[in-house]
Amino acid sequence: MNSKIGVYICHCGGNISDYVNVEEVKSAIADEEGVFLAKTTMFACSDATQKEMVEDIKTNELDGLVVASCSPKLHLVTFRAVAERAELNKYNYVHANIREQVSWAHSDDKAGATAKAIQLVKSAIAKVRLAHSLDPIVIPSKKAVAVIGAGVAGMRAAIELADMDCPVTLIEREHFVGGRVSQWDILFTTNQTGKELVTRLYDAIISRENITLLTGAEVVASSGSIGDYTLRVKTTPRYINEMCDPGNLQKAIDACPVEVPDEFNFNITARKAIYHNFPSEYPQYPVIDIKNCTRCGECEKICKSVDFSQEGKLVDIKVGSILMATGFDPYTPSDGEFGYGQFGNVITLPQFKRLVDINDATLKYRGQVIKNIAYIYCVGSRQIEGSESSTGEETRGDGNIASHDISGDNRYCSRYCCTSVIHAAIEASRKFHGLNNYHFTRGIRTYGKQELLYSESLKNGDIYLQSYEDDPPVVYLENGDTMVKINDIMTGRQEVSVKADLVVLVTGMVPRADNSVGSLFKIPKGRDNFFNEIHMKLRPVETVIDGITIAGACQGPKNITESVSSALSAATKSFSYVSKGELELEPIIAVIDGDLCSWCGLCAEACPFDAISMVTKGTKEIAGINNSICKGCGMCLPVCPVNAINLTAYSDRELESMIDALAEQMK
Amino acid sequence: MTEEKKKASYDALVIGGGIAGGEAALNMANNGFTVLLIEKDLSIGGKMIHLSKVFPTLDCSACITTPKVSEISRHPLITIYTGSEVRNINRLSDTLFEADIIKHPRYVTEEDCTGCQLCEQACPVVVSDQYQFGFVGRKAAYIPFSIASPRVAAIDIENCTLCGACEKACPTKCIDFTQQSIEYLVRVKTVIIATGFNLFDPLKIPRFGYGRYKNVITAMEMERQLAPTRPFNTVLRPGDGKVPDRLAYVLCTGSRDVTIGNPICSQICCMYSIKQAQLLMGALPMADVTIYYINIRSFGKGFEEFYDQAKGMGVNFVKGKIGLISEKENGNLILRYEDVNANTVKEAEHDLVILATGVVSNPDNASFFTNNSLKLDPFSFICQTDMLASPARTSIEGVFVAGTASGPMDIPDSILSAGAASSEAMSYIISKQ
Amino acid sequence: MSLPEKRNARILVFSTEKISDPAIDMAGLLKLHYPPTVYTIAVPCSSGIKPRWIIRAYEKGFDGVFIAADGSDCTYGETCTEKTGQIVSRTHQIMKEKKIDPARLRMAAICSVCSEAFVKQIKSFNQYLLQSLSTSS
Repeated sequence: MNSKIGVYICHCGGNISDYVNVEEVKSAIADEEGVFLAKTTMFACSDATQKEMVEDIKTNELDGLVVASCSPKLHLVTFRAVAERAELNKYNYVHANIREQVSWAHSDDKAGATAKAIQLVKSAIAKVRLAHSLDPIVIPSKKAVAVIGAGVAGMRAAIELADMDCPVTLIEREHFVGGRVSQWDILFTTNQTGKELVTRLYDAIISRENITLLTGAEVVASSGSIGDYTLRVKTTPRYINEMCDPGNLQKAIDACPVEVPDEFNFNITARKAIYHNFPSEYPQYPVIDIKNCTRCGECEKICKSVDFSQEGKLVDIKVGSILMATGFDPYTPSDGEFGYGQFGNVITLPQFKRLVDINDATLKYRGQVIKNIAYIYCVGSRQIEGSESSTGEETRGDGNIASHDISGDNRYCSRYCCTSVIHAAIEASRKFHGLNNYHFTRGIRTYGKQELLYSESLKNGDIYLQSYEDDPPVVYLENGDTMVKINDIMTGRQEVSVKADLVVLVTGMVPRADNSVGSLFKIPKGRDNFFNEIHMKLRPVETVIDGITIAGACQGPKNITESVSSALSAATKSFSYVSKGELELEPIIAVIDGDLCSWCGLCAEACPFDAISMVTKGTKEIAGINNSICKGCGMCLPVCPVNAINLTAYSDRELESMIDALAEQMK
Repeated sequence: MTEEKKKASYDALVIGGGIAGGEAALNMANNGFTVLLIEKDLSIGGKMIHLSKVFPTLDCSACITTPKVSEISRHPLITIYTGSEVRNINRLSDTLFEADIIKHPRYVTEEDCTGCQLCEQACPVVVSDQYQFGFVGRKAAYIPFSIASPRVAAIDIENCTLCGACEKACPTKCIDFTQQSIEYLVRVKTVIIATGFNLFDPLKIPRFGYGRYKNVITAMEMERQLAPTRPFNTVLRPGDGKVPDRLAYVLCTGSRDVTIGNPICSQICCMYSIKQAQLLMGALPMADVTIYYINIRSFGKGFEEFYDQAKGMGVNFVKGKIGLISEKENGNLILRYEDVNANTVKEAEHDLVILATGVVSNPDNASFFTNNSLKLDPFSFICQTDMLASPARTSIEGVFVAGTASGPMDIPDSILSAGAASSEAMSYIISKQ
Repeated sequence: MSLPEKRNARILVFSTEKISDPAIDMAGLLKLHYPPTVYTIAVPCSSGIKPRWIIRAYEKGFDGVFIAADGSDCTYGETCTEKTGQIVSRTHQIMKEKKIDPARLRMAAICSVCSEAFVKQIKSFNQYLLQSLSTSS
């Protein structure tokens, strides 16, 4: 119990004293229990008064300090610092707001304002009597970060962290790095290819000693919390030794009798069970797809590097923070959606991009030369609620008309696709002469400088049509030809139809179908099912799980620049959790009274941060607070049926003594 | 003269105290680097601190900005000069830049001012308030705006009559008419440019009548009328102070328009107009709001849903460009436009027209480096020389760009861009050490 | 004794340090007046207010208690509004048992610049309390 309290009442140069009789306040509180000295001052925040307070605290060995002045938002920190300079623990300081909440708010009633000020100061004194010293909770934080996902966002974040002198473990589920970007050819804004960009980043990664790259690796378990996470990572073997002769390997690949669809080309081509994606793929040696391998042994006969004895490993990694960069999946149209899977020449935008990349002199798909291309926009994005469209009805039972139902759960715009498809069309026209591009849009969204690309496309002679929101384009067969028709807004609802050699469905981004790693960390998702940030503007790369940040398209659709920006932001945030080797947390936390508690679990349910769990104390089961996770919100307090929880600095005794002091004159 | 310049050194110089510059400064300071933040205006907080609510969450802009701003201004590793400008920066070596900075006099001793506003009450001079776009007046001795940081007075010396009333009223005697400009020579290891953007000047499109017709205003002017720190308690049209009930938004004013030299899309106008339309539907339940657009670009997280929400609330979206705006005698406006859906030219009458002016580059960008050339793009935004892999990098090593100084961006993207800039600046300093 | 018509209800406000307390500050800054018998205690989050504190206030002589809740702006999580609502309904229950008019407890979400909303709420609450006090006495 503090019994030598100093109280300072500020005039604020008239701002307070014009409406509140500060001398009256001083005399009203001077005899309160525990008050050792009471003073008024012209400006409590002035340098001179601050020095005077330090002097007073030291010479009189004060154990509590109250300043009645402006809002604590302005000067709580100032006066806590005064206390600290006088070697008084800052939690023995209590602020009374008598400017914003008294003199200014009640400038129309001086007597009322003075009376209120008196009670507020008494209430602050009541609180400071019960205050005691608190030390910040300091927890060690391991200076290391795990980056999950080695796409362009994850790779870039890993490099950045390494350059900030922070060790990184980069964990990639696939056997090759680069994610989606390695699948793209020439990228917009630069003349770089995706492969070149990935190569640059890969070279930067292997030249940094403090990055450990794990491919074919998956996080299977996680324990701990901010500053001290342990990740269990399971690696699957490549079945190829690192010291392999590329020539022999190619022969081994040629010898493999197994053919499976090649995911790298979005299944428009096939690959072997022993494979790599493209010649300069990283890491630069192939992998055996053990699920499809028949163990015929053909490759082993040719290449000594093949090693079926390799085994998967479990490794434990200790880090202070985790950066999630797990990327997206391209939307896969449902069967028959705009003829996908129904007509032979309907493909998605990612497939089209691969097709342009792997074709040389002429653009061919399934042996047919492509001249007329119809691009149907917003497939799988900007979907509308319900499936009431009558257009869905008429398609049934007619194999010649595709479904053009655009209902679904993906309300959001995938943001990258307009620019991506326009760019792809420009690049395709540059590579293959004589293409006719017909864009069936829902309004072009080439935001920012990307607009220039749209202008370029228009200059190229690409045709742009726009459908009405309730009347999407229709894909149908006519005399064996694939046709696309639209009621076009731009020409006042004229029906326009185009014979298409190839229909490209401009598919958007969807969250990863396999999101086991997200579930493992319990990262919350938004209504679009992508990972959710705490606050789009205030904390855009942080999650509610302390110490876990999110980067790139796992948070929502983004282009490369946007993904990298968010990756670098997340790197900074993750770095700040670990850079000092320890973390200081506010000591305002929930405290359990072990005698009263008999573990019912309600507090654990109420806690938004999973900071409460059952612990045993002697023979008894009680609730235990994890001090490094508790944020001091107090949500657990009111739910306890036996009132066994208090919040530091907001205990029942403190709150009730404040209420009593405020109510003093009332009865 | 160099001898008179005050010298100081910091790890980083951040030019611009808007949301991007502030975020970048805070990121660096939170990781232990010292930062000098230079702001031309009298308060930090940039454009964002003046906004009403922000899309697509409709949380209030001041609620987001003010806690950030106070964190920045209180941070022990961040030094802020408001009312200051960077004259010139010289790159001397990899991690050594020398910057000439001038701090203009405020005529108030910042440390002593308590923000009590007594000088404001005493000052007899009334001029138009630039922070409220002239909707109301302010004094020559004034606190820039209620949530300014620092929240201290300044003397508008151009309009001041030197009557001395403020000096007499000031309880801390902090008004000092003898203040002079102070020049600093500052050495830093890295520079972050976060100079933001300017809004397109609608006077350049005379056919829209801005400046001639009183009831044609810009969206930023509307923004002030909708903000919590707004000048009036409701939305009024400037012509006659009437509450408007047929409002029109003209999108792409100064964007996607080669005739005025700006072919690019400004990225934010669709969304801020949709946001204002929603707020107007709340503020003026009986009003009709029409948005004339070319394409609606609701591309960000939660944006399309926000657009749908506006349609659901009854905002009228019309696909068509505005050809001409003319004024009627009663101050109402006739908009001549091409209705694309109906394929005809139509006319519509509105009583308040809001021009959704676009984003143009800040002309200051060209002036910071005289000896090294800072590459700009064709629109005078700062060129991102490695846009895909290092979006904050510029043509000068060690100089990074944050926020809209490199091109149009919304707030979430600006903040991420600031994160990228601070990240690259930190790794630059650390790896060069 | 003050004159009856000048009398105001005595209201205890629980505000939150990051969200609603700044709004109440701004009400002062904007000189939006409300009765000086309104006292504020700031806590970290409105979902951490114990019913016993509220009951204590009535027992000690407060006429009304107003919870200036975080609402959807809460930095501790989305469940705040719901949890604060539960506290209010639980307290209402206790109040009924103790024969205290449940309408003497009010809650509203007050964002960090909702100063006008706060003053409006408090004034109407004050009116209600004065009315019910005069009818009951």
